[in-house]
Amino acid sequence: MATGFFTDATLCIGCKACEVACKQWNELPSDGYEFTGNSYDNTSQLSGTTWRHVDFIERESVDESGVTASWSMLSDVCKHCTNAGCLEACPTGAIVRNEFGSVFVQPDVCNGCGYCVVSCPFGVIDLIEAVGHGDDAAKYGLATLHDDRLNERKTAVQATGGVAGKCTLCFDRQRVGMVPACAKACPTESIQFGEIEELRERAKARVETLQQRGVEAQLYGADDVGGGIGPLNAFFLLTDSPEAYNLPVEPVLPSTRQAMGYAAAAAAALTLATIGWAIFRGDA
Amino acid sequence: MKSYYDRPLLKGPHWGSNVVTYLFLGGIMGGLGLISLLSDDRPEPAMKKLRKTTRYTAFALAAINPPILISHLGRPERFLNMLRIVKFKSPMSLGVWGLVLYSGAAGANALRELADDGVVPKILRHLAPNATVPIQALLGAFMAGYTGVLISATAIPLWAAGKRHIPAFSVCSGAASASALATLLSTLQGNHEVLPRLERLEMAASALEIAAIADFRKRGGLATAPLFEGRIGKRLRNYTILGGIVVPFALNAIGGAVKLPKSIDALRSIAASTLTLIGGYVLRESLIEAGKLSANDPQVAFRQPS
Repeated sequence: MATGFFTDATLCIGCKACEVACKQWNELPSDGYEFTGNSYDNTSQLSGTTWRHVDFIERESVDESGVTASWSMLSDVCKHCTNAGCLEACPTGAIVRNEFGSVFVQPDVCNGCGYCVVSCPFGVIDLIEAVGHGDDAAKYGLATLHDDRLNERKTAVQATGGVAGKCTLCFDRQRVGMVPACAKACPTESIQFGEIEELRERAKARVETLQQRGVEAQLYGADDVGGGIGPLNAFFLLTDSPEAYNLPVEPVLPSTRQAMGYAAAAAAALTLATIGWAIFRGDA
Repeated sequence: MKSYYDRPLLKGPHWGSNVVTYLFLGGIMGGLGLISLLSDDRPEPAMKKLRKTTRYTAFALAAINPPILISHLGRPERFLNMLRIVKFKSPMSLGVWGLVLYSGAAGANALRELADDGVVPKILRHLAPNATVPIQALLGAFMAGYTGVLISATAIPLWAAGKRHIPAFSVCSGAASASALATLLSTLQGNHEVLPRLERLEMAASALEIAAIADFRKRGGLATAPLFEGRIGKRLRNYTILGGIVVPFALNAIGGAVKLPKSIDALRSIAASTLTLIGGYVLRESLIEAGKLSANDPQVAFRQPS
């Protein structure tokens, strides 16, 4: 049974409980305390150690009644693609598809080559910075912990350093029948977890209802996103175009370019070999 | 144009100078496989000397390139995890196997030469059948080309836009650099008789390379801007296009047309081949560095090259 997420921008209140729950459950280090000035978004992006990220979109519209501001928030996450660029690129087989249909990085197999990072059309997966033994605990948000717990956490962070990281769709929780931490924490059911076919039906009904009410709503990834990627196991309901949420309008599965690449390389090699043969052995 | 606070959509490569060096040396290893085949089984002593030089050099590079590859890993101690599987959809996986097999073939061919030279017992020559020469050349073509496929089969718009061009000019650049290295070594050995042939091969490879790069610029569209404009574009123009292709091409053409005094001709060969090698390195470096810039531009990443 494939499971996934349906994340609905019309229900998100931007509380970031999903970000916090994810960090806490998965014991992910902090990203530091950077102030971006981009609305309420100081997380900025998904990363190797940030597996849920809430987008904050502020829009202004002007009409007879004056200037009105509107908000759209959306919790972004790994898409767990049907055909996943990261999974195809991985040379060690560390990235696999698990029994829930999710794309999962086995941290003890990954050797940190970084090829998955450039192969994700959505810019999701990233390498986790390697943590040395002398590193400052405060940098990783561990400063407030007691010594015992601090050492335990530091070891956990050190163990995952240098490898690729992204959302596991809470593989560990799912295996014992629990709902992923972000969906569990979401107070408005903006993040819905469930069996993928059922979620799709729910999403299609929801977008229809919204459109009938005059809301400009569209689904992203519930059906094939194109470019050879197929449908996404984590899909979204948006109220603006995908670019506004930093989602690609036309994502492409990178491996679809390989055949052309090998053909071009072979043509160049054959040409040079023929010329070389004439230069070196033309007289023989 | 819409964007999310102009934040990058994609994640750029974490690769640095060790990966650039790996790509550069991989290209040379590929070209040396070809020269080793072209100079194989020829009666002239100069060709025999060139053959030996290319085989020893290829083997030396096959020995130093894997540690360079390993050094870029986040977890170098897990390098062997790449040898758990063969994955046809992953150029990184195929490339590692290509490197392993190439090293085997280069080792066998170096062993033949060592046995012929009497450095190792003659009987060891039987470990290296004749077929290892064309096999090394074939695997060499793969070594020079797969790195181009590897980077163009990613989401990075600049690289993706070059799905035909980058593999093609990677092969050409590898062959040009290998010819240049063989020229340099042969000049230093005083093996002048092979230089005209090596220099003609280098000219052919460089001509194809510059044609492919020019065509990439023409057809690649907006996504190619990070490679051809700004600081990286300037560096590519000065070190690769002019310094690494045009100037060495002219120097080689002069060498082919005019009979220069021996010492001046040797200097000419050394200058041309050194410049070609620098140009080859800067080409790979520019590709990787421009890839990082390309990843930062969300506008080209919203609609990804097919």
